[in-house]
Amino acid sequence: MRAMPDFARAQQNRQRANFALFLGPALVLLVCFFIAPVVVDLGLAFTDMGRTLAVTGFTLDNFERMATRDSRLLASLGITAIFVLSTLAVFNVTFALLLALVTTAVPKAFGAFFQAVWLLPRMSPSVVYALLWAWVVDPNERGLLNQVLVHVLGLPPVDLRSNQPLLTIILANGFIGASLGMIIFTSAIRSIPEHLFHAARADGAGSLAIVRHIVFPAMRWPISYMTIHQTLSLLVSFEYILLITGGGPFYDTTVFSLYAYRRAFENGQYAYGAALSLILIVIGVIAALGMWRLMDMRRLLQPPRIEGH
Amino acid sequence: MSSHALPTAAAPRLRLDWPKLARRARLKRVTGRSALLAFLLIVSLPILLPYFWMVVISFTARSGGVSTQVLWTACAVIAPAVLIYSVVHIATPSRGLRLATALSLLVIAAVLLAGLVGRQLHLANYRFLWNPNIVEELRSKATAGGQFPSVWIAFRNSLALAISQTAIILVVASLAGYYISRFAFRGREAFLQGMLVLHAFPAMTLIIPIFLILHWIGLLDTIAGVMLVLATIELPFYVFVMKGFFDAVPWDIEMSAMTDGATRRQAFRMVVLPQVRVGLIAVGVFAFIRAWEEYIFVRTMLIENTNWVMSLYLFWVSDDIMGVDYGIVAAVSVFYVLPSLLLYVFCQRYLTQMTIGGIRG
Repeated sequence: MRAMPDFARAQQNRQRANFALFLGPALVLLVCFFIAPVVVDLGLAFTDMGRTLAVTGFTLDNFERMATRDSRLLASLGITAIFVLSTLAVFNVTFALLLALVTTAVPKAFGAFFQAVWLLPRMSPSVVYALLWAWVVDPNERGLLNQVLVHVLGLPPVDLRSNQPLLTIILANGFIGASLGMIIFTSAIRSIPEHLFHAARADGAGSLAIVRHIVFPAMRWPISYMTIHQTLSLLVSFEYILLITGGGPFYDTTVFSLYAYRRAFENGQYAYGAALSLILIVIGVIAALGMWRLMDMRRLLQPPRIEGH
Repeated sequence: MSSHALPTAAAPRLRLDWPKLARRARLKRVTGRSALLAFLLIVSLPILLPYFWMVVISFTARSGGVSTQVLWTACAVIAPAVLIYSVVHIATPSRGLRLATALSLLVIAAVLLAGLVGRQLHLANYRFLWNPNIVEELRSKATAGGQFPSVWIAFRNSLALAISQTAIILVVASLAGYYISRFAFRGREAFLQGMLVLHAFPAMTLIIPIFLILHWIGLLDTIAGVMLVLATIELPFYVFVMKGFFDAVPWDIEMSAMTDGATRRQAFRMVVLPQVRVGLIAVGVFAFIRAWEEYIFVRTMLIENTNWVMSLYLFWVSDDIMGVDYGIVAAVSVFYVLPSLLLYVFCQRYLTQMTIGGIRG
């Protein structure tokens, strides 16, 4: 180091200054509000923090309670499994794929229009979207669903939110969830070389055969990415459930992540909520690691071509 | 169509009625497309109808009652108009004809609507815009923590939150995105992989510790605190989006700038940054919409009603008077949803440019 020439030292200083200037702000924010919360949660899970936000001692009580004394936890795990699997299977993958196939098959203007329609719920505020559902499933005759059922189909009115709460939140989440898959599958379909379709047509392939032999093979990678991504996001997001049913009636639609939230912010059991979240955090890290294996890593990690700073 | 050409090569003697075959093929294509469009229309109705219903309620409901008749009258006018236009659009490729049909249908529908339901439309539900005591007026006393703030306080807070968050994200993500796209530094791969894990990581699970951290550093129940949190948890996503845009800028531009004597900072500011204008717009619009619609984090971290943002204002309005007056709740919803929808509609072509590691989001 002693004998380092001036230009090399200047180079090194400039390198450090650039690092601080360009990456510094992002690092500070991420450490304070992303890394630190993970560490805090890890510690908090082993404390007894309650409504007063004071910690009096460290304990394993939360985990013992989780493993042996919390019967509601088991029920919420069951609800989570039903909610995640059926939303995923019906809407976020299958229906998304169907939408992508159909919107790319119709004339471009129509395809764009219907894709915009399906993105509408995602782009509108969650409180508004939840209110729309409140108006749709309103149990009296003014509810949109009941207007259709009674006047168009001649059926008796239903009270979906009280009688089929799980179905309600699956539908509400599904109509939002389908759009992301639709976009990703659409861009995957559009990136299939055009000549493959022409060649298949010339060989006498019908539309279904084209979907089966040309489109599906190209979709394997996006579908597996979407499946992991959406499983994870359904597992942790409870925004629409909280807004539409509030986790109720009673605890009937309280999925696991909402259960942790309610324990902390409704019952003031912050430490127990943190311990519950810890499970989700572990699942989140595993899924995140699984997901970047599916990304285009070679392009992402391509080294820069200018060495100087 | 090319599949119909094959048999002639094999059996040249076969007499084929080409115009008839062409007609049949065209008919088949039109029916196929129509069936697909009908399918799309039917599955999209559960989305279109509720939004339309909300707008109808906001312009027609009076205290204590909602008229369902306006909704179905309007649908009966609009649905045939849309159908006719679709048929014309499929049947003819001519732009002029399409435009003429669209305009004439628009005029006919407007006249019909004005005549059939015009007299039931009114703006009284939008009086919350100039009358801040709307909830007290309806219920004599608001249940959600006393006095309701004026909607403009919530609007101002939402705007402050969304704009400051967007500004932070634009600055921080473009700096970081440029650095990881263009600079060589020790540990670059490890850093990128770490960022990818953070990007995929569900930040919603951290809401309890984030709440506590804000409480400890005294930023709980402040717009600034929520703004920093929201900007950070979305940051990895935007850093990768910006990296994608920087990756697409040709190296030659930068190299020639540096040959001309620019430092890398100058090259970044004056040469590269203007090249990613589309990316900056896309990130800005998306970040603004996300902040504008945020609910869970603001619900948990903003408590005082003077700190309410639009989502909280709408939530408490609906919580308080949903049973009494649909109209005002719908009007507040329309007022709240409008800015993000306008941004979305006008900036859609920028938003579709965003990609991450080959995946559009």
